[in-house]
Amino acid sequence: MSARAHPDFLWRNPDPRPSYDVVIVGGGGHGLATAYYLAENHGITDVAVLEKGWLAGGNMARNTTVIRSNYLWDESAAIYEHSLKLWEGLSAELDYDLMFSQRGVLNLAHSLHDVREGRRRVNANVLNGVDAEWLDADEARAFCPILEVGGHTRHPVLGATLQRRGGIAKHDHVAWGYARGADALGVDLIQGCEVTGFEITGGRVRAVLTSLGRIAAGTVALAAAGHTSVLAARAGLRLPLQSHPLQALVSELLEPVLNCVVMSNAVHVYVSQAHKGELVMGAGIDPYTSYGQRGSFHVIEEQMSAALELFPIFKRVRVVRTWAGIVDVSPDASPIIGTTPVDGLLVNAGWGTGGFKATPGSGWVYADTIASGRPHPLAEPFGLERFTTGALIDEHGAAAVAH
Amino acid sequence: MTPDYDLAVIGGGPAGVAGALTAALAGLGVVLIDAAPRLGGQYFRRPAPGFRAGRPGALHHGLDRFTRQCEDLAGRADVLTGHRVWTVERDGGAVTVRCLAGDREERPRTVTARRLLIAAGAHDRPLPFPGWDLPGVLTPGAAQALLKGDLVVAGRRVVVAGTGPFLLPVAAGLAAAGAHVLGVHEAGGRTGLARHPFLAAGKLAEAFGYGARLARHRVPYRGRQAVVEAHGDGALTHVTIADLDRDWNPVATRTVACDTLACGYGFVAQLDLPVQLGCALRADPYGDLAVTVDAGMRTSVPGVYAAGETTGVGGAVLAEAEGRLAGRAVAADLGRRVPPDPVLSRRRDRLAAFARALGEAYPVRPGWRGWLRDDTPVCRCEEVPLAAVREALELGATDARSVKLLSRAGMGWCQGRMCGYAVSCLAGGSPAGDARAGAGGQGGGEARPGAGPAAFHRPIAQPVRLGDLAGTAAEPPRPGPPGTPAEVSHPPTEG
Repeated sequence: MSARAHPDFLWRNPDPRPSYDVVIVGGGGHGLATAYYLAENHGITDVAVLEKGWLAGGNMARNTTVIRSNYLWDESAAIYEHSLKLWEGLSAELDYDLMFSQRGVLNLAHSLHDVREGRRRVNANVLNGVDAEWLDADEARAFCPILEVGGHTRHPVLGATLQRRGGIAKHDHVAWGYARGADALGVDLIQGCEVTGFEITGGRVRAVLTSLGRIAAGTVALAAAGHTSVLAARAGLRLPLQSHPLQALVSELLEPVLNCVVMSNAVHVYVSQAHKGELVMGAGIDPYTSYGQRGSFHVIEEQMSAALELFPIFKRVRVVRTWAGIVDVSPDASPIIGTTPVDGLLVNAGWGTGGFKATPGSGWVYADTIASGRPHPLAEPFGLERFTTGALIDEHGAAAVAH
Repeated sequence: MTPDYDLAVIGGGPAGVAGALTAALAGLGVVLIDAAPRLGGQYFRRPAPGFRAGRPGALHHGLDRFTRQCEDLAGRADVLTGHRVWTVERDGGAVTVRCLAGDREERPRTVTARRLLIAAGAHDRPLPFPGWDLPGVLTPGAAQALLKGDLVVAGRRVVVAGTGPFLLPVAAGLAAAGAHVLGVHEAGGRTGLARHPFLAAGKLAEAFGYGARLARHRVPYRGRQAVVEAHGDGALTHVTIADLDRDWNPVATRTVACDTLACGYGFVAQLDLPVQLGCALRADPYGDLAVTVDAGMRTSVPGVYAAGETTGVGGAVLAEAEGRLAGRAVAADLGRRVPPDPVLSRRRDRLAAFARALGEAYPVRPGWRGWLRDDTPVCRCEEVPLAAVREALELGATDARSVKLLSRAGMGWCQGRMCGYAVSCLAGGSPAGDARAGAGGQGGGEARPGAGPAAFHRPIAQPVRLGDLAGTAAEPPRPGPPGTPAEVSHPPTEG
């Protein structure tokens, strides 16, 4: 990597103070973005981000960096599109090159049902002001020449949706950008600090108990992705979340060969070529629940066998590394943002498979929710209460979650 | 599903062959898997039969004994040579070993067994220095492998350098094969073992043997010297040899013309598979990692055993003893009657103590960092120079993991197997220290006691082609863990 663009410094490594206005639990992308926007948008800087490992070492380091906003329903389209708009200005905002590349995201259709769903999604996206196009098979191949669209494969490509503004970014840079920004505004980023419990009296959270001692907090905001349900349980809350391993792999370096992001629901795979040249391929989530950052090989194997029918050119590409993140999936495949039955304890979780792309938008609305004490308008439909009212936002299709 | 075998042994060197043979003699169904075309590992690496080598024993100590073991084994167990293991999975009471067979057209092959013995050996530990990526610079292990396995003498004018007793047989072998060995330069001082005279006694005869052979070929053996720079335009033409102080800082230098340099600083156990499985590791006093085993060579993971360099670098004789102990333990654990063999256990303990003493006698001293210049590549795969590592440290990186994030050191083809030690040291720690860091905090994950360094957390042991990954899917599907709703369809999810 010749043209590195690191910050002049990263961030301080402070010891925790005895109390903060806001304690954010989880130093991944969402936690860091939340801290940054709390300070930048709302002037709240008496904030600590507690991370049990190291900053951005969880899902932030274990995703495939796809960014898009072509979700089906109004509520999701609104929050993901808000996020995408933030992405478009984020390198300038954080004064740090995030290597955000809007190279276009193809979602392939392999059956008449996929075609109908894809066209419907394009129409819904356009109505919501989200850029979307429908490509037939020839147009899809023209857009991505190495894609095998022939009718003789197990999964013939009948068409694809295209969001040209979608793309990828460099995940580490995103985390470092937010971390540096938050640190510069006075937020304490505390690594190696695990939250082991909560002090709750009179129905209100007073403090978090950590491996580094008790830290009092006016507001405690959970942002721990796959481990949020574990944390919430320590506060006596049972969240409707299931955590699954989600695997991905990276290949040896290649010359530029893939010019866009290609996703396929039916085949359960998505692939892009990172800036350095390696292919980044993601698989579907492992069906069993687990907090282990490692998945089963047969999941990868079955999905690669299908993926290679779409990209026979990749057959001899060597995989050098695989890994897994832990995704927390809610019953309607949409996030949970907002207050909880415990006063002062807020939750932002359930992003499942959409976490990375949502990072700026999620941080933005969560910070606003923390600062104002009421849900940000974009977050309002995603409250925990929807699982009792039944006002679900079913994104199993557009979240690329099979029906 | 009934496993194919009682025991799968990974590695066909002295430890693996002894382990497999011992278990097979006890009546177990055994499969032995090795990557090379012929059994032997590094120590007994032999030319393929097609070479018709006239005197194969000329290059080896104890080859006859090993050959007999291999012949014995062939009739009692399945031996899969040319099979590279890329992952191992453990599922309840069985292990699944996934291999790739063949050279150009690789075929996936899967083996299941009730028990697993890992005897995967070790590889050279290189240290970076200016010019270490020049053609003509190789490790002593590579020079030895070329000689033993391909009957190729690495060069005409050869300099051997580094640290550890392994330099002696390499130099002696090259000299005997006709190379002009200009010198053996031992950075640690030539009297390393003198501090442990009683322990050394067991090996003195061997050392004298090499010494005599080196003397016969007029090869000088120098202590407190190292090659601190390799020169050449496209290929090695000469090296700078430095006299070192106690901490390996150069005090005087001279250049020597040569076309080949064999340079290495001891060995690193190959721990990918034990780390995959979650075996507990321990750090040697001198900072290297090895798998923790009990007296029966059992690792912390039930059903998984380790022998040979996997449990700490100690040489072929110790490896064979450990292999035999492991084979006996596996047989006993599977219900065979195996009387204890205290003599073998004591022998193993004695040899292991000697190995520890050797490790302590040839430590890597910190002065090597001063041999590097800003543009010296530290990670060759990703072409990361020292300056980039230093920049990462200035930005606040405190361990190999954060250096990797900032500089990409260790993210290439070899996944840090070559540069990992150097990067850990440059980051101010040790591989063992990074192991503790890796175990302590997997952001968002469970801290697993004994988990390896973050750099080792890679579920595949070597690069595997997508086509081969896909090919294994054609095998019958295996059931998921209990309680898995098998019919549930699941999403691709791009995170």
